[in-house]
Amino acid sequence: MITSTSDVTKADRVFNDLTSVVLHTALGGLMSRQRTVADNVANIQTPRFLAGRVQFEDALRAAVADGNPTEAAEVTPSRAPSLEPTREDGNNVNLDRETLLGSETSMQYQLLLRALDSKYGLIKTAMRNN
Amino acid sequence: MGLFGALEIAGSGMTVHRKWLDAISDNLANINTVRPTSGEAFRQRYIVAQAVDYGSGQGGVTVGAVLYGDPQGRLVYNPEHPLADEGGYVRLPTINLGDQMTQLIMAQRGYQAQTATIERAQTAYNAALQLGKSA
Repeated sequence: MITSTSDVTKADRVFNDLTSVVLHTALGGLMSRQRTVADNVANIQTPRFLAGRVQFEDALRAAVADGNPTEAAEVTPSRAPSLEPTREDGNNVNLDRETLLGSETSMQYQLLLRALDSKYGLIKTAMRNN
Repeated sequence: MGLFGALEIAGSGMTVHRKWLDAISDNLANINTVRPTSGEAFRQRYIVAQAVDYGSGQGGVTVGAVLYGDPQGRLVYNPEHPLADEGGYVRLPTINLGDQMTQLIMAQRGYQAQTATIERAQTAYNAALQLGKSA
């Protein structure tokens, strides 16, 4: 049972250490990217629609380099319109690129989930009596 | 944004593409619809897609507008037709079969792209639902 602030810090070290926080932030970023890919594909015939691109890796990498979980938790994915040339109708969604990005994001997401799962497995092992 | 955002967005894309398919099949079905010259010709429908927020919010797509073809149509000389005027003319629509078939393929492929998005999102969400089960 957590009774004092120092115990809270200890619990923080188990559940909110850098690894867990980075995995959570990255999962959120990938989720946001997947939503943006879905938005791009849904708007494949929308005149003057610019495809969206989501970035979070660089900010997360900087936070990891500093080794600060709080900083890593505060990383939010940023969305910017793609600067690729547009079609005649002012739309620049490229279906092959979106498909590739979608499968890539989905696989990365599953990879991170597996990492998080083994992290939880470690905690569970540590909690087990013998 | 709901829990399964990508599914909602792909669903909105499916709706727009299905409406487009509906419009095309209506246009094709009426490609030979004859009207008297005193009235309007059958007017083909064009679906105009519009993004919900152009990337600034939750995303998705809707039908922004429906445009209609030329009400003048084209005059065809067919004096035997019961709807022909005294000069022997009837009004037919200006639907171009090639145009419509091209759009049909685009709408169909677009619809399939949405279902591919749904399958990918489902795989990811399913993996997330298995979290903690193996440990």
